[in-house]
Amino acid sequence: MSALAGWGDDYFWGAMVILRLFAVSLIIAVIIGLIGAAMKLSGNRLAQTIANAYTVIFRGTPELLVLLIVYFGAAVTLTAIVQSFDANVKFIDIPPFWAGAFAIALIVGAYMTETFRGAFLGVDSGHVEAARALGLSNFQTFVYVRIPQMWRLALPNFGNHMLSLMKDTALISVIGVEEIVFVAEMATTVTNKPFTMYIVVAFIYLCITTVITLAVMLLEKYANKHLVGGK
Amino acid sequence: MIFEFGLIFGSIPKMLTGLGLTLQLLLLSSFIGLVLAVITLLMRISGRWFLVAPAVVYIYIFRGTPILVQIFVIYYGLPQFEFIREGVFWPFLREPFWCCILALSLNAGAYVSEILRGGVLGVDKGAQEAASALGISKTQSFIYITTPIAIRLSLPAYSNDIISMTKATALASTVTLLDMTGVARTIVAQTFAPYEIFISAAIIYMVIAWMVQKGFGMLERRMSRYIKATR
Repeated sequence: MSALAGWGDDYFWGAMVILRLFAVSLIIAVIIGLIGAAMKLSGNRLAQTIANAYTVIFRGTPELLVLLIVYFGAAVTLTAIVQSFDANVKFIDIPPFWAGAFAIALIVGAYMTETFRGAFLGVDSGHVEAARALGLSNFQTFVYVRIPQMWRLALPNFGNHMLSLMKDTALISVIGVEEIVFVAEMATTVTNKPFTMYIVVAFIYLCITTVITLAVMLLEKYANKHLVGGK
Repeated sequence: MIFEFGLIFGSIPKMLTGLGLTLQLLLLSSFIGLVLAVITLLMRISGRWFLVAPAVVYIYIFRGTPILVQIFVIYYGLPQFEFIREGVFWPFLREPFWCCILALSLNAGAYVSEILRGGVLGVDKGAQEAASALGISKTQSFIYITTPIAIRLSLPAYSNDIISMTKATALASTVTLLDMTGVARTIVAQTFAPYEIFISAAIIYMVIAWMVQKGFGMLERRMSRYIKATR
């Protein structure tokens, strides 16, 4: 890897940043997805309308635009709030990493909402009724009956959403987070070898997405264990 | 902080100049992407390893890396090589517009060929058996029987892909192009009113996504009308 000319460790730390971003936004996106699915499946009109509006808006807007709205919007709002207390403050922003994590989670959360909704609907209602008849509480039914069945149904789509989440992390270089695209930009100005530097970025992403794909395949095998006939 | 509606109305005409570029990027790259996708699909289902292998590698690479990174590799990366700068394609590869078209088309080609493959695999085996029983050749059967059914089967997924393409065109703004997002970013840099400007841009994107969805929905209903007639 002499072609990297000493940028190897920068790429490594940049990759750590996108993996951290991936983990943080995945957790937030799953929480948003569960809440969104619960709202869509609830009988409440208002909750349904809010959840529907949320999925329509975040599935129809470019990821880059959502990121810019969250980052610059938060900065303007925060600055305005702080200025009302202390007029000397010129500009305040939230850390770009967290703006990025939140923006990406909002986008992927919209897709998760749809996936989780479909998966919850796929759980046999007879099982839920059986749980009721056995005297399980709503919470117990959710944890012991619904969740173990729905995650199997959600898994294939969930894997695709994880891949698009991973690829969306490349966007946060636009708001100045020091991840691998940013490292490639820096390295290019020094070494003047843009192709080499950006191909490394592509290669890192390809490795990570391959690992995710393989992990989802293994999980799917584990999830459908009970469907394979006895040998 | 006040939400200024005057700013929205003032910026919409400027934003619409960017809309032209966004639509150009979308239409041109989805057309080239479709051609690439059909070629890749034919290679993929040809059953000959020297055609299948390049198609699989192409799909794997372009689906596994972020579009932003692909655009950067092509726009910033390719000029690293002498033969590109001396080559016949340099007048094109020098322009950010054509670099974006290239990246978006290659990306669309990879995704759409997988969608079309799903459609071809979804065609009922019985239809092909009936064709060969009638003495129709393999080529004829592919053109007249498999293709029309496969197109109808892949339409819903294809319309989703066109919507993702619309959102991906926003990335053109990262290589200095003034598409709708690019125009919005320059206006925000001048006025520093991120909410008003970015949200109006987002609304225009949502309208495009909505029109694509409705348009393909109508096309799908028209193509499936023979199914309804049997009821």
